[in-house]
Amino acid sequence: MGRSLKKGPYVVERLLDKVARSESSGNREPIKTWARACTIVPEFVGKNFAIHNGRTFLKLYVTEDMVGHKLGEFAPTRTFKGHGGKGGKSGKR
Amino acid sequence: MPRILGVDIPNDKRTIISLQYLYGIGPYKAELLCERTGIDRDKRARELSEDELAKLATILDNDDDFTVEGQLRRQIQQNIARLRDIGCYRGLRHRKGLPVRGQRTRTNARTRKGPRKTVAGKKGVKELR
Repeated sequence: MGRSLKKGPYVVERLLDKVARSESSGNREPIKTWARACTIVPEFVGKNFAIHNGRTFLKLYVTEDMVGHKLGEFAPTRTFKGHGGKGGKSGKR
Repeated sequence: MPRILGVDIPNDKRTIISLQYLYGIGPYKAELLCERTGIDRDKRARELSEDELAKLATILDNDDDFTVEGQLRRQIQQNIARLRDIGCYRGLRHRKGLPVRGQRTRTNARTRKGPRKTVAGKKGVKELR
């Protein structure tokens, strides 16, 4: 089920501040964040983010197509190493 | 048999039913179409006049609320392609051919995964045979 329109998109205020600050200071450093649940708003387009995936920060360059998604959708939290142990002859690593 | 939009030829059922043979038309849109064109929904499809068919065709062609057939399929493919391109979680699931909406994959999910690929030596394989 979608979120109530009355509330508007969930955007972490602090992050908006950070984006505005990096805009005015011309800082190209990726914005480090843990706010995976934050919706990507048009202000974020063209900015670099470093999104926490539970272990490290994954870099993301935000494009126009990503607006409306959440930051966390672009930082996978699971690593799949493939199936197959001793029985299988190869195993993908 | 009447033809609407080229290929599709719904048969001699009630209009409201036969319209649903078009990809992108379900019960709701069929009802709407009948209302908009003023066609009796219980009239058999074969009894539709040229005039009525033309009316249906213009609405299906021009109205954005009624995207059907090839155009609808294309639209869906484009939406999926977009998800793949931006590299979001849903896109990744589409790429891997796994369920996209958080369903379990330990069992089931055969629609997305396709036929079972039995792994030799895996526990429980003997019992399955």
